[in-house]
Amino acid sequence: MSTNNLLGIIFANVHDDLIPELTEKRSMASIPFGGRYRLIDFSLSNLVNAGVTKVGILTRANYQSLMDHLGAGKPWDLDRKNGGMFILPPYSTNISGVYRGHVDALAGAMTFLKKSFGEYVIMCDADVVSNIDIEDMLEKHIEKGADISVAYKYGDLPKNHKDTMILEVDGDSMIKGIEVSKTMDTQVNFSLDVCIMKREKLIDLVAEADRNRFTSFAREVFMTKLGELKMYAYKVDGFAEVIDSYENYVNISNKLFDKKNRDQLFNAARPVYTKVKDDMPTRYGIESVTSNSIVADGCVIEGTVKNSILFRGVKVGKGAVVENCIVMQGGVIGDGCAVQNVTMDKGAVITDGVKISGTDKKYIFVPKDRKI
Amino acid sequence: MKKTECVAMLLAGGQGSRLGVLTQKIAKPAVPYGGKYRIIDFPLSNCVNSGIDTVGVLTQYQPLELNDYIGSGKPWDLDRNNKGVHILPPYQKSKGGDWYKGTANAIYQNIHFIERYNPEYVLILSGDHIYKMDYSKMIAAHKKTDSAATIAVLDVSLEEATRFGIMNVNPDDTIYEFEEKPAKPKSTLASMGIYVFKWDKLRKYLCEDEANPNSSNDFGKDIIPAMLSGGEKMMVYRFDDYWKDVGTVESLWDANLDLLNPKIDLNLSDSNWKIYSRTKARPPHYIGEGAEVVNSLVSVGCEIYGNIDYSILFENVTVEEGATVEYSLAMPGAVIKKGAKVRYAIIAEDAVIEEGATVGCSPEDCGDSADWGIAVVGDNLKIGKNATVGAGKMITKDVKEGEKI
Repeated sequence: MSTNNLLGIIFANVHDDLIPELTEKRSMASIPFGGRYRLIDFSLSNLVNAGVTKVGILTRANYQSLMDHLGAGKPWDLDRKNGGMFILPPYSTNISGVYRGHVDALAGAMTFLKKSFGEYVIMCDADVVSNIDIEDMLEKHIEKGADISVAYKYGDLPKNHKDTMILEVDGDSMIKGIEVSKTMDTQVNFSLDVCIMKREKLIDLVAEADRNRFTSFAREVFMTKLGELKMYAYKVDGFAEVIDSYENYVNISNKLFDKKNRDQLFNAARPVYTKVKDDMPTRYGIESVTSNSIVADGCVIEGTVKNSILFRGVKVGKGAVVENCIVMQGGVIGDGCAVQNVTMDKGAVITDGVKISGTDKKYIFVPKDRKI
Repeated sequence: MKKTECVAMLLAGGQGSRLGVLTQKIAKPAVPYGGKYRIIDFPLSNCVNSGIDTVGVLTQYQPLELNDYIGSGKPWDLDRNNKGVHILPPYQKSKGGDWYKGTANAIYQNIHFIERYNPEYVLILSGDHIYKMDYSKMIAAHKKTDSAATIAVLDVSLEEATRFGIMNVNPDDTIYEFEEKPAKPKSTLASMGIYVFKWDKLRKYLCEDEANPNSSNDFGKDIIPAMLSGGEKMMVYRFDDYWKDVGTVESLWDANLDLLNPKIDLNLSDSNWKIYSRTKARPPHYIGEGAEVVNSLVSVGCEIYGNIDYSILFENVTVEEGATVEYSLAMPGAVIKKGAKVRYAIIAEDAVIEEGATVGCSPEDCGDSADWGIAVVGDNLKIGKNATVGAGKMITKDVKEGEKI
């Protein structure tokens, strides 16, 4: 079946407020992750790896860094004559200038939805790091004769989300119940906010929800329609994590030290695409010591690096020790520094000889371009 | 759009037979270099960085991989409406068709391509060298001296001069003689195989050369001497930065390891003069616990658990626990398994060195014998468990478990 029949929608500004450290100057979608990516790369790659050729990206605020990253969509092969990538900034209506929830966002993108071709729509939130076989999900959706399909995971509920759907799934993988706004200590089936439905159905649901002044898709649309619509739950077994706090961002980043997780997320059959930077490979100096670390291109490492993630173009000076750190693009750690349990945002600099350390539980955060 | 002043013609059809198994399936310009590049990235990036946006790439020998690699020219920003990069293979014409008989014939057969742009100048390049050069400066010098041809030269040692095409010049840098590999060089100005011509002049000499049945249709052997004897004004353009011919296994290995030499200025991600390449979507590399990586370049997608010293690892290379890679190049997808030792070697794409195998050895360990050299394992080959491949050996088929070569 041709997946060109599938229109993609990505919500770029979901839950920005939960990670104020990293979203001060960017959207959730453009938070750097995993050494060389932005969060949106994962959703976007999932879509294009399933053959999706038209993607609408719904943005709300702080989207300059996202626009810089996406450009014309070349790295994802979305610079196309037919279809391609559409960035959809907030569409001011007489009700509200800037949208509040998914319903508002979609209502603003109604023209895009109506004018697009494609029988089905897939919607994803940009705060999920996963490698999901969307093609398989669509096949199952059709096979099950479902009206709506939702991808889910069994595990710990993202603690800070107010409206993550907890799903009650029957033996036939159909959704029998939905709960939100609950705190659960046990592991549950929870939605990864990736869902498929017919484009016409989405247009109807959004129009209806907009009339009713609903804002939440989960609470107000899915829950109320559960009896009426056939909902299928698509289980994701591989790496799939929802980023809902700074602490959680650090923990999920560190999960990449586990080879099993890397192999799942960076599945060679469904690669993760990102903007190309044309850096040289990373250069390890004569006295460098590196272990258990993820290192992107363009770094120059003269010191010691342990249990850390280094993004592109990071410099680690002679005699410096970098342990349990996440150092984003262009970060510099000067000669003789000792840096432990620290996250450095893009372009941050630790000058020669400075010692700074956080704790395992709380990595110190150094903001973008800050010099210490 | 601005008129094209200069068209670059990149000769990329050579086999590079001295690279042996490394160019068995690919043309020399497609040979991997520097952890993520191919040799052809250098002339292509130099063109773009010099403001030359119309490039014809002449292919002939094993063009498939090269064609794929260049594609629409996107990575070099050469996917343009009218200009951009064009791949020019030999083709059938209504009155017969020919392979490219020589470098000059290759350009002759594509005269109509150049004429499309009606340029003032044509820049002739080859895909055999590692260097960063601003061609616009050379073209400016060519214009200033109002020459028919300008040839880029490098001042080499007297000893090296016997291996190059040498330009003998007057005090004002005009050329009076060209000598191919002279036994007793009169000058040490070696041709870098980079020429700027006035297009109308070149066109005339190409046509005359084509009409001469005794010509070998080669730039160095035929066109340059013909222009000299025709009394044309020809100048050298002196270049004194890094430039290396990568025509042999040793020179390819050398040119790669030059990237690790702090005394050599060859920064490929200099934002003023980047070398662009087509890259695969692979994650950052991972250095495992217990790995030792020093003095090396490591590219994306690698998984390293062993010991790496003075080596270049291209994308997706795996080095398992206890394996050693020293003074070597491991090209994309190479796998070096537990306890294997790779020294002074080039492991080509997707080759597998099984557990405990040894490939190559250091000059000291081999008693510095005269037949010492860099060992080469061809692409997609397997060196069996505990097998040994001696120094300087070129492996073209699988080596069985325990076998000694």
